[in-house]
Amino acid sequence: MSEKKLKYVGTRPIRHDGVDKVLGKANFGADLNLPGMLHGKILRSPHAHAKIISINTAKAEALDGVLAVITGDDFPPPPSGKGSVEGPQDFGDMARNVMAREKALYTGHAIAAVAATTTRIAEIALKAIEVEYEVLEPVMTLERALAPDAPILHEEMRAKGEEPLPEGPTNVATRTVMGFGDVDEGFSSADVVVEREFTTETVHQGYIEPHAVVARSISDGRAEVYCCTQGQFMVRKYCSKVLDMDPTQIKVTASEIGGGFGGKTVVYAEPVSIVLARKSGRPVKIVMSREEVFIATGPTSGSHIRVKIGVKNDGTITAADATLNYEAGAFKGSPVMAGMMTIFSPYRMDHVRIEGFDVVVNKPKVAAYRAPGAPMAAFATEGVMDELASQLGMDPVDLRLVNAVKEGDTAAYGPKFKVHGFIDTLQAVKNHPHYKAPLGPNQGRGIACGFWFNAGMQSSANVILNEDGNATVVTGNPDIGGSRTSMALMAAEELGIPVDKIRPVVADTESVGYSDLTGGSRVTFATGMAVVEAAKDVVRQLRERAAQTWDVSVDDVEWRDGHAVAMNGHADDHEPLSVAALAGSAAKTGGPISGRASLNARGPGPGFATHICDVEVDKETGRVSVLRYTAVQDVGRAIHPSYVEGQMQGGAVQGIGWALNEAYMYDEKGKLQNPSFLDYRMPVASDMPMIDTVIVEVPNPTHPYGVRGVGETPIVPPLPAVAHAVNQATGVRFRSLPISPPRVLAALDD
Amino acid sequence: MPLENEGEDWRMLDAQYISPRSVAEAVEALKGGGKDAMVLAGGTDLLVQARTGLRDPRLYVDLKRIPDLMALDISSKGLHLGASVPAAQIFENEDMKALYPGLTEAVDLIGSTQIQGRATVGGNLCNGSPAADTVPSLLVLEAICVIAGSEGERRVPASEFTTGPGETVLRPGEFLVRIEIPAPSKGAADAYLRFIPRTEMDIAVVGAAVSLTLDSSGCCEAASVALGAVAPTAILVEGAASALIGSTLDEAALERAGSAAYEAAQPIDDKRGTAEYRRRVASVLTQRSARMAAERARGRN
Amino acid sequence: MAIVVLPPALRAAVEGSERVQVKAENIRELMSTLRERFPLLEETLDAGPAVSIDGEIIADPFLEKLEPDSEVHFLPQIGGG
Ligand SMILES: Cc1cc2nc3c(=O)[nH]c(=O)nc-3n(C[C@H](O)[C@H](O)[C@H](O)COP(=O)(O)OP(=O)(O)OC[C@H]3O[C@@H](n4cnc5c(N)ncnc54)[C@H](O)[C@@H]3O)c2cc1C
Repeated sequence: MSEKKLKYVGTRPIRHDGVDKVLGKANFGADLNLPGMLHGKILRSPHAHAKIISINTAKAEALDGVLAVITGDDFPPPPSGKGSVEGPQDFGDMARNVMAREKALYTGHAIAAVAATTTRIAEIALKAIEVEYEVLEPVMTLERALAPDAPILHEEMRAKGEEPLPEGPTNVATRTVMGFGDVDEGFSSADVVVEREFTTETVHQGYIEPHAVVARSISDGRAEVYCCTQGQFMVRKYCSKVLDMDPTQIKVTASEIGGGFGGKTVVYAEPVSIVLARKSGRPVKIVMSREEVFIATGPTSGSHIRVKIGVKNDGTITAADATLNYEAGAFKGSPVMAGMMTIFSPYRMDHVRIEGFDVVVNKPKVAAYRAPGAPMAAFATEGVMDELASQLGMDPVDLRLVNAVKEGDTAAYGPKFKVHGFIDTLQAVKNHPHYKAPLGPNQGRGIACGFWFNAGMQSSANVILNEDGNATVVTGNPDIGGSRTSMALMAAEELGIPVDKIRPVVADTESVGYSDLTGGSRVTFATGMAVVEAAKDVVRQLRERAAQTWDVSVDDVEWRDGHAVAMNGHADDHEPLSVAALAGSAAKTGGPISGRASLNARGPGPGFATHICDVEVDKETGRVSVLRYTAVQDVGRAIHPSYVEGQMQGGAVQGIGWALNEAYMYDEKGKLQNPSFLDYRMPVASDMPMIDTVIVEVPNPTHPYGVRGVGETPIVPPLPAVAHAVNQATGVRFRSLPISPPRVLAALDD
Repeated sequence: MPLENEGEDWRMLDAQYISPRSVAEAVEALKGGGKDAMVLAGGTDLLVQARTGLRDPRLYVDLKRIPDLMALDISSKGLHLGASVPAAQIFENEDMKALYPGLTEAVDLIGSTQIQGRATVGGNLCNGSPAADTVPSLLVLEAICVIAGSEGERRVPASEFTTGPGETVLRPGEFLVRIEIPAPSKGAADAYLRFIPRTEMDIAVVGAAVSLTLDSSGCCEAASVALGAVAPTAILVEGAASALIGSTLDEAALERAGSAAYEAAQPIDDKRGTAEYRRRVASVLTQRSARMAAERARGRN
Repeated sequence: MAIVVLPPALRAAVEGSERVQVKAENIRELMSTLRERFPLLEETLDAGPAVSIDGEIIADPFLEKLEPDSEVHFLPQIGGG
């Protein structure tokens, strides 16, 4: 930890990409057009569950203006065996998700694609493709998926982790159990035990920019891809897996990105456009419609969670037990594991048991969504905690304070916590005027806590000193939340030059070292670390140049506020040399100066937050209005406080939307009824009060500036915070989301 | 099939567009365009429908350059509202606010600032949506629709204009020229409320318009109640109106009006709300709207 | 000796114990010792788990140093958004 006073870190400069963005000049995914470019469209399954008997593309191919028609047969066989699974990604499943093979597994599943000279011809061509399906019963709910007579999505699926392994196929991909101690013993020593069940619906991230890609196939088998994504290197790797190409054969440039929230961490149209470009010999652009985004990209899981917690009369938790069922969508891989690992982690406990099921259903395969898996888990645990607090007659914050994990406490998922500021957030809430403000009739207040791990992973950075003394900071992470400016701030601090003299650049896959994607709240932490190291590399070289210029030892040169300063008795002989002076003379003192760093960032600090929510309920219509909202979070250190606040506000708003009105609505055949922002009711700006933020800073010791991840934690507390506020306003406990007006009115009747 | 224009917005590029300068020119243009021609006002419904493939007109006849359709006149006889007058112009008009506060509120509810620069009452009505926000107000204000076509002009009450979801009395080649609304009598006022789960950019789950006339003692002489989004078209609820007429708009009368609204509503269960929920809200909004209208009417006596 | 703490699902592979002690200077050594002693852990170790060493989560462990009393947990890889 640098203890010195910081000059740039912690300030709020205007973002480097801001002017272009407010003037509408920034280039997003759909903004690139290439000469000779074709327009690609994807034929999507009208059935939620069907065998594909045959696909006849002859009529489509015969149309003037159609240059390529492709189906699953135009792709290499889906990867299998060694190397086909990496962490949570199964590339065999990914290949089948990108283009269906044997079966269509959700309404919207890609079946075929065309490239044509206009979108209209492409659409006409889609209609000319003849597909014969054998329609099967769709599996649209966890309950149906788990029923003994449920239709099976994948014949080869056996519930891994179930003992004994089932003989026949299941819709459960995995069952996992974790925990320690003896929960029966724990519950028997409890004074109060509460056990409840909670459900949440499928919800979408709702990023404003639909997926868009332009791919170009180059004669030697290479491909160039331009797209909006959270990770250009991710697109490179995943396309290489799905298309059986070497990653080096694919160059990916990330456009500006209009939101991702985890939804742009996998590929959909990207491999399709490469195959179309290869087959047609022309660049191919695919821009999804909003409807396609809803029906065919990855939302997050619907869930069913049972939680049981026992406490002593003083509030101390004696045991906790949970069963989590998460929908994975059409292919295995829900975030149930993260749900399990976060569900009890804010609280100390000696006896805990957590069981989780990853269940496939005929909905689009889920993708990451901001702290994937954690918000639903918190909804359940916090709901039970809130009920326990009222049964014990305790203030809900006090109940948390009795149990909150501290440094050195064992997390319910196993390891011991390092330093963090959870308790500080609870205390900040207790001391906040919001917590004590009076409430009117039909109003209620709720609080809730949330935890997320945050990620480290691989990052690279180049810091290039230019001849004018300005610097270019090159990284491989698309800038979603203002990270360019955060990178520039840290480089400015190290180099000692103003942040506007630094040009932060998001490079393509051929211009910077490998970097994992922008996600997991990792960029300011991990890529920030790489930038700091690369900048230190530049400073080291600058000190060397000064030492050589002055003919002193490099140990006699210190770097201070953007200047090389002679030390140890040499101070009187030499005026300090500025960055600009050293950069200007670089050509004559050994050549250009640039620094680089590539690293695997260790030790992202855990993120904790506590939120306060006030609502008013219209008891005649069931409408819930959020009146006031305060988000308190330990962020380690805020490099750019405005962007930290922006993350906290954005996460809170997404969580409020999830709590109140958002939900995928399917008909009985498995067709999505609300694939538009009109009927998928994400909040609009006027629905929200100003979200107040309180930044708590307990520095993360592993980061040079104390950063911990920020972006995901704030979506964890709102689901329960809203539900608790509604409970106080109405006396009704809502354990199923969304808390939409019809449900509120129906509950008030009971 | 021949190669067409390149580009994303092919529907806009390869369709024809004309902007007639008079009602007669527009009538001619529509005749020429046949069944593939559609009139375009603000385009905030039509262009959205065209982009999603719901409609595919080959000729757009723009109604925003015809002076008669762009006129908003208020006189002692009442309101003449040209079919193409943009929403923003309507709700910024002080006389509109004073004389027809409910209708003006309904207009103000449509979309967002950007939408309101283009959207029109004519389009709202002719689009035929059961949830269109201005239609219940047009019904309670006894609006008359003036229609032009190759056979000349005809007049149809707003209450008969919409015949089903997306369907109106307009015959091929006909279009709406203006809406006429009588001047409010002494002691009369209107109000409109809609329910949406959000605060804007949403479609009415229920809309309720009420128009009332109070005598100097505060007794209700005349009333009209209309509901949107609870039936295939907006509907007049006579039972609710008669519950109000003769009362002082006391709680009992309001409740009776609410019950009548509940009974008259024939909503469906859909993604925007269950049938039972919509009926409940129809009752609540009817009462609230009536209270608002009464408040205003008292101010006018 | 570093202490490896195993989740319930893996305990069968180590003869039922929740904790095993392993003499190792670093994670690589620990992993190879575990492989030798408990062949049933191979599948888990091949999958490339994340580890936590004294509470610090490491997604791609390699040569991280272990203290004599370090506590090591194997964790599934968690995807972020
Ligand atoms: C973001 C957004 C939000 C919206 N919010 C609301 C809302 O809150 N409430 C609401 O009610 N609506 C809403 N709408 C729908 C729409 O804006 C309104 O219905 C609007 O009043 C339509 O008017 P327009 O002039 O744009 O109609 P257009 O789109 O130009 O036309 C609509 C239809 O009417 C026909 N038409 C138009 N004028 C005439 C005429 N003079 N004679 C015959 N036929 C004609 C057209 O051919 C077309 O079929 C919203 C739309 C959008 C895009």
